[in-house]
Amino acid sequence: MTANEVVELIKKNSKVPWNERSTRDRFKAGNPDVTIKGIATTMMTTFDVLKRANAAGLNMVITHEDTYWNDPDDTRDLTANALYKLKTDYVLKNEMVVWRNHDNMHATTPDYTVVGELRSAGIKGGENASMRPGILTIPETTLGELAAQVKRSSGARAIRCVGDPKARVSKVVVGPGYATPRMTPEVDVAIGGEQQEADGGFDDAEYVMDAVSLGMAKGLILLGHVISEQAGMEDYAKWLGTFIPGVPIRFVPAEEPFW
Amino acid sequence: MHHTHLSRRRFALLAGTAGVAPLALTGPIPLAAQNEAPITADVVVRRIQARLGGDWPSTGPDGFKAGDPATVVKGIATTAMATLDVLKAAVKADANLVLTYEPTFYGRADGAAPPAAARGRGTFGLAADDPVVKAKREWIEKNGAVVFRLRDHWLARQEGDMVTALAAALGWSNHRVRPDDALYGIPAASAEKVVDLIRAKLNTRGGVRAVGDRKAAIRRVRLHPGSMTPAVMWQRYSEADMIVAGEVREWENTHYAADMFTAGEKRALVTVGRVVSEEPGMRACAEWLKTVIPEVPAKWIDAGDPYWRPA
Repeated sequence: MTANEVVELIKKNSKVPWNERSTRDRFKAGNPDVTIKGIATTMMTTFDVLKRANAAGLNMVITHEDTYWNDPDDTRDLTANALYKLKTDYVLKNEMVVWRNHDNMHATTPDYTVVGELRSAGIKGGENASMRPGILTIPETTLGELAAQVKRSSGARAIRCVGDPKARVSKVVVGPGYATPRMTPEVDVAIGGEQQEADGGFDDAEYVMDAVSLGMAKGLILLGHVISEQAGMEDYAKWLGTFIPGVPIRFVPAEEPFW
Repeated sequence: MHHTHLSRRRFALLAGTAGVAPLALTGPIPLAAQNEAPITADVVVRRIQARLGGDWPSTGPDGFKAGDPATVVKGIATTAMATLDVLKAAVKADANLVLTYEPTFYGRADGAAPPAAARGRGTFGLAADDPVVKAKREWIEKNGAVVFRLRDHWLARQEGDMVTALAAALGWSNHRVRPDDALYGIPAASAEKVVDLIRAKLNTRGGVRAVGDRKAAIRRVRLHPGSMTPAVMWQRYSEADMIVAGEVREWENTHYAADMFTAGEKRALVTVGRVVSEEPGMRACAEWLKTVIPEVPAKWIDAGDPYWRPA
């Protein structure tokens, strides 16, 4: 089976009509006609993930995020970049191939990235979550306790929080990656991957700080982009296994980058 | 006097706003006139605009965001972000005009209606009757405060205070490699030690994050306050041992730094937080204001590191 054939099978089994207009969901490196020995799913095709996938004999990498350090994977300004050459040559030399599934994954219910995010945050009831699952009610706790639970449950090192740790909270919204949800009057805590800190579409950090200054119970928990979308790629690997026969399919997590 | 000199960045700013009618600015207001009239927020702003130069289109980010421009100014506060806590501290210190580098009302639209067709990733929009927006605006009006955003024109200033002030806060003023660049040659230390120093000097809580080689020997550091694009990262990371930025996008620049580490490169990327990276520049702005508006006191009020880490 070739990488192209794998992608055709994925499109055929998709729960939503395939969005062919997505420029994210394309082959990013390697030859689509290469014969597949095994498939690795990952949140982000880091160089480290490529090496670990190759060592495990998995020459097709299905990644949720980019390969070349910019959202559209535009490589026009990178042709003379040494790291670009190193990474691309590694893929070619080892007969690997990288394909991205981002937009179609978020358009599908369940959106595995959100299913995984809720599971890694230790929040129940997200097994069939869409990209925007709405307001979830958790047993009332404090923001500090919730953040500590999220840290224990996800194992993340670099979680950042805004708000009063003693605030009592129970209404939660979540979003994957950069799609950190905006805070609203009805919500106590927003959980996301990352968000521009200020001057963006909506600045949760300042909103939460001001709400706290006004005596409102609000909080923001930022897991980091990798951690927020990582776990769902394991669910995605399992789903692929229901219709792709004959090749090993494994989840190869990208490492949390921060120390 | 520096306002006659056009920097490259300011030229870009002017070019970007070509076609927009500039305000009628004829230079500094004569001292005699200043002494006769009370100093209103509007007068202060006009003097700042005259000194910094450039066009000030109503469509740009810089401008009044809350309060009455006719308010008599008792004192001026500068800050990277006019949070309600900053505004409370400013009013308490008799500084009723607040100059903020970042928005007051939680996004690029800064209290105005959001653009109809919001593009790209992320989240957009804010209800007009949002209780936090309403309460903040009411607090500002009740307390006679005025908020003005001063970003593009301060950033474009020839002296590049956003960079030099961050270097000064880190104790690196004397280590600048070239006078027109943001590269600093610092006393060699491991990346971990430099990160410890950054945390201490910038008085951060939980916002500092680092990626790359923690044992790398750091001698050359590039400073990039605010938000850094991937193009800067691709072009400049290899000439420095460390980049210290305000913020980046994790699937872009953080990913690049992680891959450089995997490739064996002994470098590190440190993000200190957007606001934290911009506070030193706004502290410098308060010092500068003393030369522009000597009649009223100016002081810097730190918005602080927004983040803490869970237990």
